[in-house]
Amino acid sequence: MSVNGCVTTVQLGSLSQADKSQLHLLPCEIEHDGPAEISRFFTPTVKEQKCEKTVSFRGRGLKGQEVSCPQGYTGLVLKEVQRPSSDQEDRIVKVSSVFQNFVYWNLETLPTSDDGVVKAMAWPSLAEMIHAPVD
Amino acid sequence: MTTKKKRSPHTATDSWVVIAADSALETEKPQNGDPTFVKLKNPATGATSQYLFSSGDERVYEVKAFNEEYRSWFIGQMVQRDGRLLYVTPVDPVFLVLPYLQSGEVEGKFQPLQQVVMDEDYPACTRLLKCKQALESVHHVADEKEVSSQKFHRYNQEKTLEWLKKKVENTVTALKKTDIAVGGAVKSTTYVRVKQESDATEEDYLRYAHGLISEYISEELSKDLHKHLQLPEISSPKVEPPSKKRKLSDKPVEAGEDYTKFNSSDFARKAPKKMTAAQKSLAKVDKSGMKSMSAFFSPKVKQEKN
Repeated sequence: MSVNGCVTTVQLGSLSQADKSQLHLLPCEIEHDGPAEISRFFTPTVKEQKCEKTVSFRGRGLKGQEVSCPQGYTGLVLKEVQRPSSDQEDRIVKVSSVFQNFVYWNLETLPTSDDGVVKAMAWPSLAEMIHAPVD
Repeated sequence: MTTKKKRSPHTATDSWVVIAADSALETEKPQNGDPTFVKLKNPATGATSQYLFSSGDERVYEVKAFNEEYRSWFIGQMVQRDGRLLYVTPVDPVFLVLPYLQSGEVEGKFQPLQQVVMDEDYPACTRLLKCKQALESVHHVADEKEVSSQKFHRYNQEKTLEWLKKKVENTVTALKKTDIAVGGAVKSTTYVRVKQESDATEEDYLRYAHGLISEYISEELSKDLHKHLQLPEISSPKVEPPSKKRKLSDKPVEAGEDYTKFNSSDFARKAPKKMTAAQKSLAKVDKSGMKSMSAFFSPKVKQEKN
């Protein structure tokens, strides 16, 4: 079968067991995939004033803001159940976390509604209008 | 400038952060199975893109990535290097069926859809014919004939252009209710724009909506639609400021995560002729090839300065 014939199934049954993790979108690339002591070293240093958040991360002052998923949308972290041994195999992912909002962090600059992440949240409603059926 | 530390190569990702339409996660009947990500032919580029069928193939969704450079996630107590945010949003299946109808039109015959919408390179395309919206809306782009309770279709260009025009008009109406800036002018960089500029003309809206719809049709059809909308040709199009940091690409949950392969299909999209030199250079930088999406997310040049 062609590579394009492979499908990736989302195991929806896993949704009920998914945890509700706090997500942070950081303004740097971290060359690591795996556990870290985030609740010990990162979360406790987050300071909040009104809707603006600040945190010191590796000596850099980050400024952050919470963004919510658009209405009718849910945030999911999908995780592969088993690594495929080739690219000609069907794959399975499960929902490992669900979220309704997350915090994105800028390096030094104050978060504004002009930030890319905030604007990207308008995409779903735009998509809905482009793809609605025409009468 | 400080010397850039060389980044280590990406290893295979096995975790993705997704924002998905709730309707994509509904299972009406458990026996219909779970939603599945599949690969289909992108109707605008002809390249492979990632889509999702909801349970029972009732609806189809596209997958786009919001992808800023230098981003990673903290998820609970885990670090995820891949800082992309994937969007799973509805797509009108008629857009995906259209190229097959068009290529089936050569013979000028009425044919059953099952004979037209098939593709050995993209076997999942037959599932489009199970989507409710495809079956209910295909008459907008094709002539229909029913012979002994079997339906036959033939592509109709005039109908298609009318349908696309309605899509553009509906999109304009909806755009006006949002605060999305459709005008080409670059706004002040020092304060935050709260409301859309009031000087956006009807033509600005039409152009913007035409650009959005053009992401889902062939370049040729996009040009025909441009004529059909009676949009004047512009000699010096308003330049969309390129943004190196922001991009939405449409091939996220990629098998194997071979990043070279990943990008090649992005590059497969030909730069439309109407692009300016600046846009062409943008198209090279922006691996996503999502021209109007990048315009949508980068109406400003300011980010470069900060």
